[in-house]
Amino acid sequence: MEGIGYKILGAVLTTILAFVVGMFYGGFSRKIIARIQNRVGPPVWQNFLDVLKLLFKKTSVRYGLMHHFAPLWMITMSITTLMFVPVLNDGLFFSNLNFSGDIIFLLYIMVFGSLGMALGAGSTGNPNSAIGVSRGLTQMVGFEIPWVMALVALMIQYKTTSVTGLMEVQSQSGTWLMFSSPFAFIAALLAMPGMFRYSPFDIVGAPAELASGPISEFGGKYLSTMMTSGSIFAFVKLTLYVDLFMGGASNLIVLVLKTFTLYMYPVLWGAVSARFRTEQSVRYFWGWPTFFGFIALIYAAF
Amino acid sequence: MNSLVLLILIIAGGALLSYFGHKINKILGNITVFAVALIIPIYWFTQVDFTETVSFTVSGFHMELGYNMYGKLFSMIVMILSPLALIYAIGYMKDQKKLATFYFSFLFSILGMTGILMSRDFVSLFIFWEIMTWSSYLLVIFLGKDVQKTGIKYMVFSAIGAYAMLMAIVIIYKNTGSMMLSDYFGSFAGFTLQTKLLTGILLLLGFAVKSAVMPLHVWAPGAYSNTPMAYTSVFSGALSKMGIYGLGFVVVNLFAQANLEIVGYVLAWMGAITAVLATFSAVFQHDAKKLLAYSSIAQLGYIVTGIGIGTELSIMAGLYLAVLHAAFKGVLFMVVGAVERQAGTTDMNVVSGLARKMPFTFFTALIAIIALAGIPPLGGFVGKWMLYESLINNSNFLMVIMIFLSSTAAFLYCFKFLFGLFLGQQEPEFDHVKEASPVMIIPMLLLSVFLLVTGAYPGIVFKYVAEGMTNLGFHDVNWQMSVLTNAWGDSVNVQHVYLSVVVVFVAFLIFITWRGYKHSTKISTKDISSSGEMIKPEDNMTYAMDFYKPFQRVLQPILKWKINKYYEDFGKGLEALFDFMRRIYTGNGQTYAVYVIIFLAILLIFSKSIFGY
Repeated sequence: MEGIGYKILGAVLTTILAFVVGMFYGGFSRKIIARIQNRVGPPVWQNFLDVLKLLFKKTSVRYGLMHHFAPLWMITMSITTLMFVPVLNDGLFFSNLNFSGDIIFLLYIMVFGSLGMALGAGSTGNPNSAIGVSRGLTQMVGFEIPWVMALVALMIQYKTTSVTGLMEVQSQSGTWLMFSSPFAFIAALLAMPGMFRYSPFDIVGAPAELASGPISEFGGKYLSTMMTSGSIFAFVKLTLYVDLFMGGASNLIVLVLKTFTLYMYPVLWGAVSARFRTEQSVRYFWGWPTFFGFIALIYAAF
Repeated sequence: MNSLVLLILIIAGGALLSYFGHKINKILGNITVFAVALIIPIYWFTQVDFTETVSFTVSGFHMELGYNMYGKLFSMIVMILSPLALIYAIGYMKDQKKLATFYFSFLFSILGMTGILMSRDFVSLFIFWEIMTWSSYLLVIFLGKDVQKTGIKYMVFSAIGAYAMLMAIVIIYKNTGSMMLSDYFGSFAGFTLQTKLLTGILLLLGFAVKSAVMPLHVWAPGAYSNTPMAYTSVFSGALSKMGIYGLGFVVVNLFAQANLEIVGYVLAWMGAITAVLATFSAVFQHDAKKLLAYSSIAQLGYIVTGIGIGTELSIMAGLYLAVLHAAFKGVLFMVVGAVERQAGTTDMNVVSGLARKMPFTFFTALIAIIALAGIPPLGGFVGKWMLYESLINNSNFLMVIMIFLSSTAAFLYCFKFLFGLFLGQQEPEFDHVKEASPVMIIPMLLLSVFLLVTGAYPGIVFKYVAEGMTNLGFHDVNWQMSVLTNAWGDSVNVQHVYLSVVVVFVAFLIFITWRGYKHSTKISTKDISSSGEMIKPEDNMTYAMDFYKPFQRVLQPILKWKINKYYEDFGKGLEALFDFMRRIYTGNGQTYAVYVIIFLAILLIFSKSIFGY
């Protein structure tokens, strides 16, 4: 299990896995949304085609270094987060850097990409990008609160702040945390759609209002890197939820089943709802999700 | 000669020399300032003997100066930040008048801070404290802006703090018969509960004013933003830490030892509330200086929370953040100063798109903001992490949420600061802007390098923090060069984080730059995709006004409630009271004669009950 070569191989394989799974999830969600709206929809591998097509397109314009770096911040964040989130239980799959970080660290590194992206978008001078960023950051203040409340409740209840520690708690007790700390799970689940930015929380991209917001000045390789990063990040977030609340997964098939089930929740919600305004979105997150967050904290502390 | 006395003489001499140098001419003055800025830290780092003490007796009061490790930690902040700010000031203050006064007050405030940190008795502590307050007051009113409002506010609050401290000192002297800090610490356990609380809380009040804890923060936004930025970086970076220094030893050496943790706990809550409310205020500022001023208050709130909780990890977090805050706030105030000098204004509704004009300034601002926001892999994250973990380990779950709310909302103003000044569209009116002079850039770059290094090796700061904490009474403070561990044994290896970030970033940088970057053309920020709408080059499309309007709508109920209003009402009440007093003291001799007669009449009537005959 030693050797730097093995570690690098592990990291690369994990990344590829996350990329492929995330891409297919994107494809499936497009298909499902299309069927709900009574359309045929694109094939499930459409996202791969998009990324490839963009990859081979010529990048014709740039706005300077911040713009050039923006997709890099995103992908750095996605892959780094992936390295610190356990993919499977018991280190069966490559453990990467799972033991070098904990939940507080994950919370912070997950913001890194969005802020880098925000800076890149800001440097283009496109007002739509800036509006998108302003909305996105505001929404983040919204959903982070219940999400953090849920996590703090777990950490206080089980006296560990690491993801691996919480997974161990689940494997030892045999119950998933979603059953043993139900309120934390409810709060986290209610906060989750904010992270995935499907309707009604798609206020950042907002296709019809903001011309896709922060990403509107990015094309070619930039956009393809961003899409790659997006799909990896979707996988990471889902895996983190599964690790924390649903007992992790012992093999890849179980992992895919669990994450896909979880993923369908924001997608299906999104398919049937209209967009919130920014303040409505924040008020939503500071309403019931935060209420359940409080209950979870009280439940954990006493 | 004793090295501590010499240190004080060097700083005082430096102040006089720069004063007279600038009286003679500018070049001579600047050379003197530069030399002083080099000599002071070099002397401090190489020649000062930290075991030495000086003692002397003035009119019956025994005074003693001497470093301890806790004071040394804070002295390092002063000794690194202030010289850099002095060098920066040479560039920043180039076109100002009255430079002699400026540098004199600047160096005297350094003298005050140095003295505070080596005082071992209350008399010298108080004297140096007042030197610091007065010299900083002279700098707050230096530019003559809003003297009525900010100057008086600063003075009034400083005076409240100073009198509280003086009162505490008198009570302590009455109870112990000694002015030494160590005697006070030693006999604290023997005091009655009332005396404990009275002296301790009065001291806390004195220190809390300087560290701008709500509700004593009112002076800070105005004072921080009206002072010349070269000094504000010291003001917010180092001078406010004097308050933290005092809070630290009062909370840990006194209250925690005497099983009165509740005081620290209340202080921690005040810090958390300060952090949240000041962050919300910072988000809606459109002047970059005001934004940073509120952000300073919020950051000091974190530090106060860390100190107040009083566990090993939280104190470490507080002290580490104090060091880091000095570095990144130092840089940020210098950045604002550079922008102010080069572009003429710091109003974020007006300025935009300076990143291309001032690349170095932008780079340092970026580094400092990343550290401020606490995003890995830079040093700021380490402090945030320790603070959260210490709160979670202690099950202070509500406080964690408060701090988290504050630092998530901090992302908003962090982005706004960078976006407002440096990003967005380039406007023709700022075409003339050039990069600031190297004298200003180099101090900023040096501090940024420090922030970059602490991301991977926070241990270089922990070393001194741990020494200082040993002095506060913690044994075997646990620290490692780049692994952070909390009380439950969970850890973060920041070196792995750094490695991962750098490797992935470089890999994709090559990928994205290779074939493509060269062939793409760099275009102006006016050349944007606008969905078919025609945008003329002179149209300003930057979205900066009311940047967080939706957030403002969410917070509407909270924002109405402003502490400043209560102080102003209180002030108006006082004015009315004094108005009434003035009616009594008319200035007319006959009225006073009537008062005397009335007084005598009352004496005659009630003489039986008063005098007994």
